Amino acid sequence: MIKYKIASVDSIIIYFAESISKENVAIVQHNYVLLKNLKHDGVIDIIPSYTSILIHYDLKYFTNDSIIEFLKQNLSFEINCEKEEGRLVEIPIYYDMEVGFDLERISKLSSLSIEEIIKLHSSTVYSVYTIGFLPGFAYLGEVDKKIATPRLQSPRKKIPKGSLGIADNQSAIYPVVSPGGWNIIGRTYLDMFDKNLDSFSYLSVGDRVKFKPISKSEFINNGGVI
Amino acid sequence: MSCFKVISGGLLSLIEDFGRFGLSDKGITNSGVMDEYAYIILNKLLQNSVNTNCIEIALGGLKLEVDDTCTIAVTGADADFSINSKKVDIWKTHNLKQGDLLEFLFAKNGARIYFGVKGGFDIKKELKSNSVTIKENIGKNLQNGDILNFLDNDILYETVYLKKEFIPSYDTNLTLRVVLGYQDNFFTKEEIENFFKQSYTISSQNNRMGYRLESQPIKCKIDGIISEGISFGAIQIPKDGQPIILLKERQTIGGYPKIGSVLPIDCFKLSQLKAKDTINFKPISIKEAQEKMELFNSLIL
Repeated sequence: MIKYKIASVDSIIIYFAESISKENVAIVQHNYVLLKNLKHDGVIDIIPSYTSILIHYDLKYFTNDSIIEFLKQNLSFEINCEKEEGRLVEIPIYYDMEVGFDLERISKLSSLSIEEIIKLHSSTVYSVYTIGFLPGFAYLGEVDKKIATPRLQSPRKKIPKGSLGIADNQSAIYPVVSPGGWNIIGRTYLDMFDKNLDSFSYLSVGDRVKFKPISKSEFINNGGVI
Repeated sequence: MSCFKVISGGLLSLIEDFGRFGLSDKGITNSGVMDEYAYIILNKLLQNSVNTNCIEIALGGLKLEVDDTCTIAVTGADADFSINSKKVDIWKTHNLKQGDLLEFLFAKNGARIYFGVKGGFDIKKELKSNSVTIKENIGKNLQNGDILNFLDNDILYETVYLKKEFIPSYDTNLTLRVVLGYQDNFFTKEEIENFFKQSYTISSQNNRMGYRLESQPIKCKIDGIISEGISFGAIQIPKDGQPIILLKERQTIGGYPKIGSVLPIDCFKLSQLKAKDTINFKPISIKEAQEKMELFNSLIL
């Protein structure tokens, strides 16, 4: 059941569901795109997440009552899951123990070989659930249950830019050097956040993502740094 | 081109404007000036357009030398400000000439000083704004030897100043108005009463991202939530029960329960508090809160 809740004097949060599922995420993403495309001057920021959308609105245009009215008129719940799928983005990854510091840990916990882990991770098509934590840090779901791995007990102080990680059933790439507790399994040479890109972030909420294993030489030749 | 040369960058001096909007869905924080009141007055005094950039000086310590004529103004925290070692008033404009030396001593009252020049500093915008966000690698704090260009070397012939009655007193105890919302239904009635009854001390963990408070712990029925968008002024209650008020450089999404949000106009005042200062919370209805915001906007903009 959809719920509108006050977030602050000039923002409202829409709860579409109470649990994370592919269907719920699809409804959020559908409505995020829909609201974004309205390009309403009175809507300042839209933050989609797993089950909710936060709207920061301009008090020159809306009150708490009128924003709810506006949302009720514009949100839509009839979505065609097959048609609604976002663009498919392929991301090259150098999966190796040299850059995948936690491949061995996952291998121990899952009793799978490193080859099997790479195969499972790169054969799934993921969906961008939300972006946050860092600019361009996209939360991808869902990682195959067999290799879903809890965060490290104590986070690493420095994770290299482009590192691909797993935390529980989610995967993400660190767009910049950062502290973090995700299990690192590989690295990409792509810039996940680039101020010169039109969209700034390589991925957007709603995109579908597939990882393509590449060799060390392909990684290095394209500008990858070990 | 005319410029200021940074002789000493001070503790943390940042170029800021109103901030960066419409990019929260990419994980980019709003950033921008912490005290919008002082910032808006600064640009009014200088007859600048509303979003003209300025320097936000945390506590003080900034020293500048100018190589041309210009009109400047200073607002915000009550710090001794001198031109060529002579103390002058803040909340008013001053005309400068080549070689003038500006110095900001440490604030006696308040935490953030705003310094601007007529016409603004000539700095290229990044992601639609001049606001520096260090944690996002968007700009950096002013360093000794930095050069800040400006375009307008015409001066204002009349001194412009703010009437005394409009200059904030920056009290060290504040009552912040809170609109309840978000996960307020996960706090018992008694806990909400308690939240509004007790006093809080600002901890040493206070910065542009947020202010962590110290108090008797506030209990929430849940430890965490599915991560969701965080609004300006949101009051997060982590497991240890010590509230955090999230401000201009807050993370865009987060998984701690929130009891509601402080009114932005009260967050501006909060931004002038320092560690060991104290606050209380007071509830306000959404309708009244929106009226207060409109009143502020109509008086100021």
